[in-house]
Amino acid sequence: MSERVDPGFIKEMKHYGTSDWNACFHCGNCTAICPFTENESLFPRKGIRQMQMGLKDSLASNVDPWLCYYCGECSDTCPRNANPGEIMMSLRRYLTTIYDWTGLAKRFYQSKKWEFGVMILLALLIMILFIFFHGPMTRELTSEGGVQLNTFAPWKKIEIGDWIMAGLLSFFLISNILNMYLKIIVKDRQLKVPFRFYIIEFWSLIVNFFTQKKFSKCEKDRTYWITHLLVMTGYTIMFILIVVFLGWFQTDAIHPWWHGQRLLGYYATFGLLVGIFYFLAGRFKQNTQKNKYSHFTDWSFLILLLLTTLSGILVHIFRVTGLPMLTYYTYVIHLMILFPMLMIEVPFSKWSHLAYRPFAIYFYNLKKRAMNRQLQPVLQ
Amino acid sequence: MKTNDHRIGVYICWCGTNISGMVDVEALSQSIGQLPDVAVSRDYKYACSDPGQQLIIDDIHEYRLTNVVVASCSPRIHEITFRRAIENAGLNPYMLEMANIREQVSWVHSDRDEATRKAGALIKAAINRVRYHEPLEKRYVDINPTTLVIGAGISGMTAALEIADAGKKVYLVEKADKPGGLVAQLDLTYPHFDSAQELVLSKIKRVNDHPNIDLFLNSTITEISGFIGNFSTHLRLDGQEGQELKFGNIIVATGLRPIDAGIIENYNYRNIPDVITSLEFEKMLLEGNISTEEGKTPKHVAIIHCAGSRNSRYHEYCSRTCCMVALKFIHQIRSILPQTNIYDLYTDMRSFGKGCEALYTRTNNNTMFLMFDKDDLPQIKTANPGDDCSILIEMNEKLSGRSVEIPADMVILMVGMEGQTDAKDIARAVGISLCGSNFFIEKHPKLDPVATTTDGVFIAGACQGPKDIPDSIAQASAAAARVLSTISAGKVQVESITASVNEDICCGCQTCISVCPYSAISFDEEKSVSVVNELICKGCGTCGSTCPTGAIRSRHYTDEQILSQISGLIETANTM
Repeated sequence: MSERVDPGFIKEMKHYGTSDWNACFHCGNCTAICPFTENESLFPRKGIRQMQMGLKDSLASNVDPWLCYYCGECSDTCPRNANPGEIMMSLRRYLTTIYDWTGLAKRFYQSKKWEFGVMILLALLIMILFIFFHGPMTRELTSEGGVQLNTFAPWKKIEIGDWIMAGLLSFFLISNILNMYLKIIVKDRQLKVPFRFYIIEFWSLIVNFFTQKKFSKCEKDRTYWITHLLVMTGYTIMFILIVVFLGWFQTDAIHPWWHGQRLLGYYATFGLLVGIFYFLAGRFKQNTQKNKYSHFTDWSFLILLLLTTLSGILVHIFRVTGLPMLTYYTYVIHLMILFPMLMIEVPFSKWSHLAYRPFAIYFYNLKKRAMNRQLQPVLQ
Repeated sequence: MKTNDHRIGVYICWCGTNISGMVDVEALSQSIGQLPDVAVSRDYKYACSDPGQQLIIDDIHEYRLTNVVVASCSPRIHEITFRRAIENAGLNPYMLEMANIREQVSWVHSDRDEATRKAGALIKAAINRVRYHEPLEKRYVDINPTTLVIGAGISGMTAALEIADAGKKVYLVEKADKPGGLVAQLDLTYPHFDSAQELVLSKIKRVNDHPNIDLFLNSTITEISGFIGNFSTHLRLDGQEGQELKFGNIIVATGLRPIDAGIIENYNYRNIPDVITSLEFEKMLLEGNISTEEGKTPKHVAIIHCAGSRNSRYHEYCSRTCCMVALKFIHQIRSILPQTNIYDLYTDMRSFGKGCEALYTRTNNNTMFLMFDKDDLPQIKTANPGDDCSILIEMNEKLSGRSVEIPADMVILMVGMEGQTDAKDIARAVGISLCGSNFFIEKHPKLDPVATTTDGVFIAGACQGPKDIPDSIAQASAAAARVLSTISAGKVQVESITASVNEDICCGCQTCISVCPYSAISFDEEKSVSVVNELICKGCGTCGSTCPTGAIRSRHYTDEQILSQISGLIETANTM
């Protein structure tokens, strides 16, 4: 079946960060230098051509952009300065909007008004909820000298909110992943994936989610991978603490420093801070290929994460040093940043890659395995 | 036949290490020196150099040499050099024979002993032959200062104006009813978007006004008789025999024609009205209205390169200009219809020359370039009902490896160039040859692209091969300069190596007349013998080898010369 070309597609891609779209003349140096490209996935050139020609169906089923971790070697080697690495990045942004069936991702990526508008709305929602439903703002301290945060914001009530949020996030993210699965695996009519492959390859999904071991092979310098791993684990620990173990995490008691609650909290805070400052510094200095071009969503993501972390630290400090009013206000501000950030970033924007990347590797492995099986009789 | 009055000088050239690396030139020169009639035998580092030539000249004086053999490179390279040298020493230039021991020996062999033997055999054969060389005379003819230029396109007009400006008369013959040729059908030129109309109109005006140019429209030429300096023809005006013209030189500038797009089945040129050729699109641009057959503005325009070019089924060659014309179209469409999608289907983008790469870069960001394999042409078909376009193009896009579909409301075929259909008649009339595709063949593809193998006939512009306007004008000016140089010389040297008929032996069979490629032989009815016009004869030898009675003798290639050369080779092979 021949696919219709679409010259208008390039205009759309410009929203996702592609600038010099036609500089590439397909010498293939990028594919040759890329440490990840294999016979089954000849990126970045293939994706660049699909973009130039506006082959939207081919792109939607193309898993390659997620297999790229943007080491930037292709852009360094490109004789035309076509910046293949950044095109792969913008294709990831584009694919995020394609997997999202609600259309919100597209709005957030294409329009600052939408992104910041929704962010403010969600923040106001949190504020209103606190105005109407907050507990007594007592100035009385606990016997240890800490603030009675659970009186102002009982963890049981907050946990209900957390669960609602986690439910929404899961619903959007999982439905988007299903959509991704439809486009990559199901739509490929020639591809037949036996059920056992799904089980065999499931291990790679888990391993890649937690270790990002593929990423570690991307660069000679492992600093980036380690930093990224710090952020990822810090974030995951924090997320689990607030959604699953909020009663254990949000206490009025001041535990000794070696207590698990504090150690985990400090590790997560440390991981997030190191990562955020490392990434922010990189984007300011533009010292590597992947840092040279920043989409506005890259900045808003990092800044929101930084503000969340900083406000979280302040809540902790104010609580243990016994400053009740500051604790309460900072707590509300903390949630006013945290909630919009998660709602926008996780299912609809940059943070969705935490799910799309491991699933892309999973789908790619399935595809490769199935294709090899289908080819075998031919080869014999 | 050995006579004692031959004193032969033999010069064996080292050609640096080109020859001496594979042939023992010093040993050869010693052993050749022992042969009878060889007065002197030498080897020298570069025989063609000034001291090398001087050595030969001095020897001719000192040893009173009668013949000279030079064993060196191909005679095509230095025969003229050595002929001039011995002429300076007072010998007739035709008393020279060359043995080619570079191209035929040192460059092609790897065994030094065998190569030296072969070189020895060739030199001995040359010595045998040179004994039979006879002095030949240089002959000259007067030049009629009037020139005939065939074709009043941009090339023909340029050549005519150059010659006319130099004060010489020009007959400019054009078969159409107006001058201007193909350029008159164009809108803008690449890469600077100058108006083609302005270029051509200024030339037409000058041609019309020039007192030295006689312009004949609706006129053709079917037969030309004569030879360099003295040609004549009867013009045919609207098919009727017209005025007789006499002239000394001819410039053929008959131009090109676009290939018939209808022969390319995939493109459905005849069946789909909005599939048009590049020239038809030029017409739209000239009229200032880009619209479909139904009068609508096209939303999608596709341009297909190499229509009829670079394909084994049509023409194998590249037509050189179409890529740049396509980019010019893109630029023009983009400025007239900014919202229209442009698709450029190419095989290779050839934007050669000054300013052209810049034009390519400029169009690069507003066009979708799609690559196809030159032997896997796109298929043009009518769109399905419900499509937002009238035409669909299906192609295997080479860079993506995908089979894709391109919507179009108008398809422009960049048709290639081929020679005129009547080029064969012109070639026969003026006595020149065609290569494939009805283009005239030049004397030498690199060293002499302006002259032809017929003296006094020059070619200019796209009748020689696909060319753009500046190249055509350059070649036209060059042809004019060549004509003016023969006119200013007043006389021109003609070939000395010619054929002659021994009337006593000629049986009057006229076989020679039918084989002569230069029409140099006529039949004397009275004596019933063939007569060679030595001003036209090129000494090719065809008649001599065809003559059943041996009546024709080709000067410098007589039977004795050839046979003695062969026996020299055989003797050496047997003895050495």
